[in-house]
Amino acid sequence: MCPAQELRERESQNRLHHFEVVPGTEAFRKPSGDPLRAVKEYSRPAAGKDAAKPSDLRPPDVLLRTVCYLIDEIVGSPSPHPWTEVYSFVFDRLRSVKQDMIIQRLSGKDCVAILERTVRFHIYASYRLCGEPLRIYDPRINDTHLQEYLSWLFDCYKTGAGPYPNQEEFQALGLLYNLGLSAATQHVLELPVRLRQTPSVKLALAISQAFLAGNPVRLLRLAQKLDFLQACALHRHLVTCRRHLLLIYSHGFSSRNCRFPLDRLARLSSLEAPLAAGLCRAYGVEVNQHNQVVFSKSAFAEPAQGRLECKLYHGIVSEKERGLAVKSIIHGCS
Amino acid sequence: MAHITINQYLQQINEAIENHEGSFCAELLSFKHPHVANPRLQLASPEEKCQQILEPPYDEMVAAHLRCTYAVANHDFVEAYKFQTLVVQSFLRAFQSHKEENWALHIMFAVTLDLRIFANNAEQQLQKKGKGQPGEMLEKAAEQLMSCFRVCASDNRAGVDDSKKWGMMFLSNQLFKIYFKINKLHLCKPLIRAIDSSNLKNDYSPAQKVTYKYYVGRKAMFDSDFKTAEELLSYAFDHCHRSCQKNKRMILIYLLPVKMLLGHMPTHLLLRKYDLTQFADVTKAVSEGNLLLLNEALSKHETFFIRCGIFLILEKLKIITYRNLFKKVYLLLKTHQLPLDAFLVALRMMQVEDVDIDEVQCLLANLIYMGHIKGYISHQHQKLVVSKQNPFPPLSSVS
Repeated sequence: MCPAQELRERESQNRLHHFEVVPGTEAFRKPSGDPLRAVKEYSRPAAGKDAAKPSDLRPPDVLLRTVCYLIDEIVGSPSPHPWTEVYSFVFDRLRSVKQDMIIQRLSGKDCVAILERTVRFHIYASYRLCGEPLRIYDPRINDTHLQEYLSWLFDCYKTGAGPYPNQEEFQALGLLYNLGLSAATQHVLELPVRLRQTPSVKLALAISQAFLAGNPVRLLRLAQKLDFLQACALHRHLVTCRRHLLLIYSHGFSSRNCRFPLDRLARLSSLEAPLAAGLCRAYGVEVNQHNQVVFSKSAFAEPAQGRLECKLYHGIVSEKERGLAVKSIIHGCS
Repeated sequence: MAHITINQYLQQINEAIENHEGSFCAELLSFKHPHVANPRLQLASPEEKCQQILEPPYDEMVAAHLRCTYAVANHDFVEAYKFQTLVVQSFLRAFQSHKEENWALHIMFAVTLDLRIFANNAEQQLQKKGKGQPGEMLEKAAEQLMSCFRVCASDNRAGVDDSKKWGMMFLSNQLFKIYFKINKLHLCKPLIRAIDSSNLKNDYSPAQKVTYKYYVGRKAMFDSDFKTAEELLSYAFDHCHRSCQKNKRMILIYLLPVKMLLGHMPTHLLLRKYDLTQFADVTKAVSEGNLLLLNEALSKHETFFIRCGIFLILEKLKIITYRNLFKKVYLLLKTHQLPLDAFLVALRMMQVEDVDIDEVQCLLANLIYMGHIKGYISHQHQKLVVSKQNPFPPLSSVS
């Protein structure tokens, strides 16, 4: 998975990741590299640098095995290291896989198998690392890479011979992840009817319709039917969606003598009552001591930046993760 | 003219260049002109002849043009595209050396237009053979057009009359055509910004402005900026030449949904005149608040709407349709305190799937928030209380 020269170089410069060293030597002044665990790292193409050596390129089957190794042994194995570290290691090594793929102009089945796993990894990470400090996890960077992998994957589906049995899964994921984006929706609409009629794409389209029709109640109701990874893809829109719900209810139910039951609002927004109350307060919406919500259009206010912790409201996603191993989520065998 | 000899042809070009006759020279290099069908000019290796009569880099440009006519005569558009690229590149070298003069703009219009067309044809030819990535040729053509654009946009020295900046809008329009075709709309942004900040933006020819506003309007529509889209597309429609019925129809395909979203419904006469009756049922459904008919109309003409890229925006008409349906409920009940159940019955009549009181409340709340209904919902009494005055303000006054 790693060219011998790179391994030697990184070993002598002490630049091996502890996922890559011979177990037991981590504490040494110069831990020794384990050729079975070292993975070629991403290196930025730069002027003056030698063009990639053909001997350093990994052929398609090795690339796929590398990706599987990363999933099975790094992402999936219970490790004492925090997940943020797993993420930064796997993120970098997947990026170097991509680099090798681009240089070889890879296409076809192996390419799709790699891209599918990479996309799942990034979607899962976008949920798992939500709320981590920016220096550890930057959602923007994760997003940029994810979008690139997605559009490449869709190109493969479009131009390759196929069949690609996972295509409907990824078309649905793409739509949910890019909810409300005209380009993503138009892309799905242009798919063959056969594909658009599959259950997961249909559900994703229904969610996108609810979004366009300004109907967050329906959207959140449909979101309950999603599987775990689909919920991860939708997750970044949940804040906006609940905000929209509170915003329109603040206008629609704005009357001095009117009250709205908190438990009902909690049910609509797929939250536990105390969390729903917290969310209301974050947006300036009053909840009185009888557990009633007092909507008022003048009271609604945007929370100060960083005050709203998305992570608190993850219930709708996290309850679907129960019983699933990360490894199988990313391999796609759920 | 049709069957002049190669020497006569080269002499004519040479004179046109020396006398700065831009439009005549453009004709002699354009595939719209009949000389391209002249077999005496379709040469496989005209380089030597061209060098004898023309100065560099014009000799190279004309030689590439003649080889291009040869390729086109053989229906080999991949070759044609290759040579047209050479034409544009050698033209650009000459163009850059023209200081404070812009007579060659016409040539640029002709050769860049043909470049885009050949890229298109070449791509189709490759696709038929199952070769090449989709969009590859067009993207390369766009790069060439961009280098022309940069030369034009950076011409800051010349006075208004001699400025190469007059070429910017034509090139933008050509680039828009490519970007829309290969679905890279985000690339339009820098072009729009460059034109917007130019002091010539109102003085380009009407034809160029119509095309420009058509594309920028479609871009605004894509970005859900409907007010701007309506302004731009209306301008394009009003200023498009009356003899260009096909273009007017194309503008309408995008203008109609935007207008409908803002509450202006097209007449049947207009739809018939422009052969756009696909919109007839949609219009009827929206104004009647008939969700059932709207869904039918959308699925009946789905292919057409999706191909034009307007299916999404037509989906947004649902909100207006809810408003019109709910207004009917209000007119029937003739009261200001409307039971929520009545709306539920109306939605069920329209066969909206698994709808319940929660969703009724949500849809009403959204309409109130958007300003389509004046009033409030009372959860305790399960009623919508509407304003005594103008509870459903006219659509055109909202948003």
